Parts: sequence; structure tokens; C-alpha cells
Amino acid sequence: MSSLPRVKAAASRIHLFNLSPAQGSQHKQKRLGRGQGSGRGGTSGKGHKGQKARAGNGKPKPGFEGGQTEITKLFPKKGFVNPNAKVYAAVNLDRIQAWIDQGRLESSPEKPITVRDLLLSGCIHDAKDGVKLLGDGAEELKTPIHITPARASKSAIQAVEKLGGTVFCKYYNDLALRDCLKGRTDRTEAAPARQPDILWYTDWNNRGYLSPQALAKMPPAITNPRWKELSKQLLAHKTQEYDRAK
Amino acid sequence: MLAAVRQTFRRLPQCACLSTAATDSLANSPPLGLLKTAEVASRVLGVGQGSGVQALPVTLPVLLTMSSLIRPESGTTAPSDQLVELDPSVFAHPIRRDILHLCVVHHLDGLRQGSANTKSRGEVRGSGRKIRPQKGTGNARLGDGQSPMLRGGGVAFGPKPRDFSTKLPRKVIQMGMRVALSAKLREQSLGVVESLEWQGIKTKPLVERLRELGWEKTLFVTGREEVPVGLEKSASNILGVDTVTAEELNVYDAVKWHRIILDISAIQWFEQTLGRDARVQ
Repeated sequence: MSSLPRVKAAASRIHLFNLSPAQGSQHKQKRLGRGQGSGRGGTSGKGHKGQKARAGNGKPKPGFEGGQTEITKLFPKKGFVNPNAKVYAAVNLDRIQAWIDQGRLESSPEKPITVRDLLLSGCIHDAKDGVKLLGDGAEELKTPIHITPARASKSAIQAVEKLGGTVFCKYYNDLALRDCLKGRTDRTEAAPARQPDILWYTDWNNRGYLSPQALAKMPPAITNPRWKELSKQLLAHKTQEYDRAK
Repeated sequence: MLAAVRQTFRRLPQCACLSTAATDSLANSPPLGLLKTAEVASRVLGVGQGSGVQALPVTLPVLLTMSSLIRPESGTTAPSDQLVELDPSVFAHPIRRDILHLCVVHHLDGLRQGSANTKSRGEVRGSGRKIRPQKGTGNARLGDGQSPMLRGGGVAFGPKPRDFSTKLPRKVIQMGMRVALSAKLREQSLGVVESLEWQGIKTKPLVERLRELGWEKTLFVTGREEVPVGLEKSASNILGVDTVTAEELNVYDAVKWHRIILDISAIQWFEQTLGRDARVQ
């Protein structure tokens, strides 16, 4: 008896009872051990006896390769992971220019672009430990921008200052970054305490905010009166006198 | 070409264009009041008829004759003389039964209570005492009395309360709504009224009016935040009639109900949320 061809009644009314999924879109579930006719009865696709035919996994442990040295054991361990390492969210100059063109970012010396502005405008998706300004696409930068990232590359600094913008790198610890992102200004932002951080943020080459040249150039609207004193104390080591052993 | 089409549609009024058209031209046309191509083209392109060859838009706006819940007064224009222009991307969408299937199954999955429960051998009340010695009796070895092998024992792999709800992409549900509305329009089961305001809260006048109109199993959809009180209260006790807001309307109900009556604010709501402009970001 030949099967009747399936004619789709394209013009019939649509009811709850004549809806069906697209042909080939839904796959029947594999049901093991339900009789010979299903093709997966009896031993349920496991063959006869042996370790693999038993209940449970069939392997002594994950990644076991029958005794051959596992791929996870072939290669030696190396190094360590530094829990204090900082990962910065990179932002390139071409991206910032594109955002400015779309009207999603704007900057002025009194209101520089902060990590909060970058996050809310969608320029970065995650602030991580701060934002680092990088110089890819420096040719596309057309407008002078004023930005206070956590770090900035030398080429980015050059490109921004060539157009008359300003870059001042500010130190953000975890709490200060969180406050900046939430827009909280009631707490005092901590000064850098680790020696490498102090040396970095007091260096004008990096446009560190605690360098004397940066403090002179920064508009008063964005400075904290503490910073002048901090800068003086943190740079005292450069001209300090020591007792030397004779 | 498509840009030109989009431009022409933006020049058209947002949606509900109530225009009086000659009754005789409508008398012979099907309820899905599509006027003659040339007439529509001249309206859409703003060009006088017979002014030369013009490229027609790819999709023509869908036109539907209006209805009225309140008996129209003799002096005013009859609602059947009025047309409403519907966005074709919402109301003349290609019919996709498989999308409707997905939306309906997703809806019904979410309705499941999922409260079937059985006790496993660990939950059946009983002690862990071995009920007969391992060896010596000629029968099979048995442990505690709650084993699924035994009468009164627990169920092996029985149902447990679980969540049967599934997830479906938001855009599939939106397309399902467009397909459902288009299907209703195509089957001449969609009506548009100017407003769903109804005077009074007694059931009887509404039952009489609905019998006049022949609106037996209808769902009234309003685009406002709440269904008008008069209609809601009057229809609450009528079997086969229900009221809902456009926001709360789901694809299941749009397919289930035999007839759907929308008011102008509902049309606007659907065109705003499901139309081309809402999709193209």
C-alpha cells in the first residue's frame, strides 16, 4: 500500500491543533533499553561485558588514557600566577574618536573622560583593574581629548598631546576604582603605597598625576588639595640625605 | 529601492489613517479591503493616476475596514466606510506555522505545574533491616523492605517536582506575535474598532450587541494600560468573550481565540513594538 504524499494544506485556518514544528527541526530522544524494535534494547548500545559496559562512567578518572601518560601530565608545570597582577582594560584612540563622533563621549579639561564615562557609554564592557589608553589608530584621532586613565602608553600620550589634549594617569586601588565607577565622591582616594606604583605615578614621563609638572598643569577642578603634599613627600627620596657608612 | 520604500512609509501617517472611501468601491471588495493597485500606488507615492510609469513599492500597506462596538448613529459615517492602514510587516507577515508551534509549546511548557512526586527507596518509611538472611532461604537475596523490587517499596526513577518551563528567544516570540496577527487578518478574524469604551456594566446589553455583530468567541485587545471598565465588567461573565491589554496578549491566546478585535491604540502599540523601526536599531 503506497503512502499518500504529504500535502501541506497551506490555505487552511490556523488553530492550536494544526501547528507542527519545521521538518527536521526536532530530533527524537535516544531511549535505551526499551525493547528490540527500538534498536537500542538489551545491552543498550554498550556491547557485552567489560569495564565500559558497567554502570557509571567506565573510566577510572577523567582524562585517563588507559595507562599512557595523560596529556595533562606530559608537560611540566611552569611558573606561578601573581594574585596582585593588574589587568587593564585597553582602549585605543580610534575607538575613542569613533565614540566622540557618535556623540557618546565628550571631554573638557574640567570634566575629563574617566573610566566611568567609558563604561557607561559602552566604550569598554568591563573596567577590570582600570583603563589603559593605547595608541592604535592614532591617525584617526581628530579632536583634543582630556582623559584620566590608570595608565597610558607613550605613543598614546604623544598623539593626544599633539592635538592639544591632556592625559593624566591616576592611581586607582580597588576601592577607588569602585567609587569612580559608582560616581561616589565622599571618600578620599588612596595614594599609591607600593614602591613601583609610587615611582610610576610621580614620573612626568608617564604623565603620572603626582609628578610636579602634572600638578602644575592640571586644572583645579580635577585636583585634590592632598596631592601637592603627597607629591612632595613621595618625591622626597630623590633629594634626601643619608648617613653613609664610613 | 528599499530605502525609497522606507521613505514612502515614513511619509505616511503613523498608522491609523481613517479615511472615508466610497461605499460602492468597498461593497464588492473582500473584508480584507485591498483597494485597486493603481489607487493604492497613487495614494502611497502621491502621484496622480495615469501620470506615467512609476515603480511600485515592494509591499503595499494592508487596508482593513473598521467595525464598531457601539451601535453607530444614523448621522455619522458608518464604520464600514472607514479604512485603517496596517503596517504590512506586522499584519501581512509571511505565515510561519513552525514559529507559532514554538511559541505555543513554550507557553504551555510554562503553564505546567510540575508537581508530580514519588517516594524513592530512600524516602519510603521503613527501617534498613535486612528482611531475610542472605543465604539459606531458597529465594532471592533482599536488603531493606523499601527496594523498588518489592511491593510497598519506593519508585525507581519516578517523577520528582521539576520546572518544565523552557526559554525561547525574545525575537522568536515577537515574530510569533506578528505571524499570529497576520494569520488572523488573513482568515478575516481580525477586526478593528476605534475604541473599546462601553457604557454601563450590565452584561445583558453587551450580550445583545455581540449577538447583533455575530462576535461569538472574541478577544478584545486594547492598547491602553487598562481595559476600559465598562467592557471589562460587562464581559466578565460572558462565556467566549474576554478582554486583555496589548502588553499582556500572548501568542497562544492570539492563535486560540477565534476572533480578535483590536482598538486603534492596540494597533499603534503593536506597530511600535513589533514594527520594522523597532527591529532595525
